[in-house]
Amino acid sequence: MARRGRPSLPAPAPPPDNDDILSEILLRLTPAPSSLPRASLVCKRWRRLVTDPAFLRRFRARHRRGAPLLGFFSEGRPGILFTPTLEPPDSLPRGCFSLPLADEWRILSCRHGLVLLLHSEELQILVWDPVTGERRIAVPPGFLTSVGRMVCNGAVLRAAGDVHGGTESSTFQVVLLGNDPELTRAFVCVYSSENGVWRDPISVACPGTFVTCIPSAFVGCSLYWYLIGDSAAILEFDLDRQRLALIDMPVEVPPIVWVIPADGGALGFLYLSNRNVYLWKRAAGGDGVVGWVLWRTIELKNLLPLTSDEALHPKKIIGFAEDDKVLLIGIRTTDFIFTIQLESMKVMQFKIRLSLTSIYHPFSSVYTAGMGLDDEHEGNELLLDA
Amino acid sequence: MASAGSGDEKAAAAAMITLISSDNEKFEVTEATATLSQTIRHMIEDGCTDGGVPLPNVTSKILARVIEYCKKHATAAAGEEGSSSSFSDAAFLEVDRAFLEELEEFDDAFLEVDRATLFDLILAANYLDIKGLLNLTCQKVADSVKGKTPEQIREMYNIVNDLTPEEEAEIRRETQWAFE
Repeated sequence: MARRGRPSLPAPAPPPDNDDILSEILLRLTPAPSSLPRASLVCKRWRRLVTDPAFLRRFRARHRRGAPLLGFFSEGRPGILFTPTLEPPDSLPRGCFSLPLADEWRILSCRHGLVLLLHSEELQILVWDPVTGERRIAVPPGFLTSVGRMVCNGAVLRAAGDVHGGTESSTFQVVLLGNDPELTRAFVCVYSSENGVWRDPISVACPGTFVTCIPSAFVGCSLYWYLIGDSAAILEFDLDRQRLALIDMPVEVPPIVWVIPADGGALGFLYLSNRNVYLWKRAAGGDGVVGWVLWRTIELKNLLPLTSDEALHPKKIIGFAEDDKVLLIGIRTTDFIFTIQLESMKVMQFKIRLSLTSIYHPFSSVYTAGMGLDDEHEGNELLLDA
Repeated sequence: MASAGSGDEKAAAAAMITLISSDNEKFEVTEATATLSQTIRHMIEDGCTDGGVPLPNVTSKILARVIEYCKKHATAAAGEEGSSSSFSDAAFLEVDRAFLEELEEFDDAFLEVDRATLFDLILAANYLDIKGLLNLTCQKVADSVKGKTPEQIREMYNIVNDLTPEEEAEIRRETQWAFE
């Protein structure tokens, strides 16, 4: 090895001129909706950097994990309604994300910044990214028509790498769930946007139980749905192994149960009964056998700011945000929705025109609309997948 | 974790690198510490570190801080490797968590610097390609503007507003809710 003087390194640009370094800083701004609009108003240079489409894609990918809970979607008449729940200056304007659709469209699932909708008569589904406006319609061939299976529920999700790895790709999976008319089997059918293909349906015997409209829970690498019927059960769909299984539940659960991710990556469920919320989780007992244990009891009486009169009104769980551990509770005739964060126990109250028959789907995403990214998707609104 | 065997110490002592700051101060560091910098790692791989590595863009004051960071994080990396074989899983997790907490405390204390030093550290981390340090320092700056108005951000970082009134009006019109 010849000794030729000292090696020299390239000289760095000072911070005011180095856009790469400033971009690295701006990428790390909090994903609160007001972050980028405020940064864009600092000066021309900041504005140029935060409105760059490549920057916005990186920003969205970086913050996809831990995206803020922006609010929730519900089925309006007509169309899909969005109710923002963040406080100013991050409270999105009412009417944003509204989607004018016919009454037959139902929301099946909201996860990883995507909304899955089903047209119950035309048997179409729609995957909608409300922030970028990207939409795709897919019709699962054979799932519905041949043997009269019915779609009752479904789930949308991004691949693990796309959620946690900060990649810019945006592939997603759709899992549709249904019963046969005799209620003897539950079917799932999986679609991947990566290859645009629906896999063959797979099924499991679940006599006497049927699928409800309560949204799925995503725990580990499996989706879980609550099945109601003669004996309540939880349907597990392992996405890696593409396998369905039934998990028994304690006999004493009431008819409406929400499956949720419990702490430590365990499977859990919760329900409301006698003005209390009961949370159960699967855990190994002293004998090493895995079973259900009552994990927490939340007394709503002392938690919700209600008058003694209002406290008597029937309450219902109307939504659950699995990533943020936020429970939505509606109170009949009051037009109030309460959200309870299950770790901090922070309670927030929203006034909306409440329908207790509706389910409110919590929506978490990195909001970058109005920053230039939405222009990119113009003319890319409807992609028909055969 | 810090109780590496004497053989390890010898091996580490054998692989020392000299870093030379812009003001010509010399710093002797282990290869494990130095190679947290991808830039220096590549120079070592290319065999061009004999006679020391001059860093004409990093002052001794900043280089001392950077080395402090690299030493701590290189120890952390070595500690993780070393402990995995000699502890049971539970004990390993416990040690691991204690170590991560200690590292976090170190990082927090490390970032207690004035703004000029913070920017110098960002430049040095970028120049030397030390991902962890670049992430840490950039995040610190990003966190400092959290919840601030554009006016407050300009004031904090002495930035001149060169947007035309029309541009400002346009941004405010499109995202009015963000300024309420």
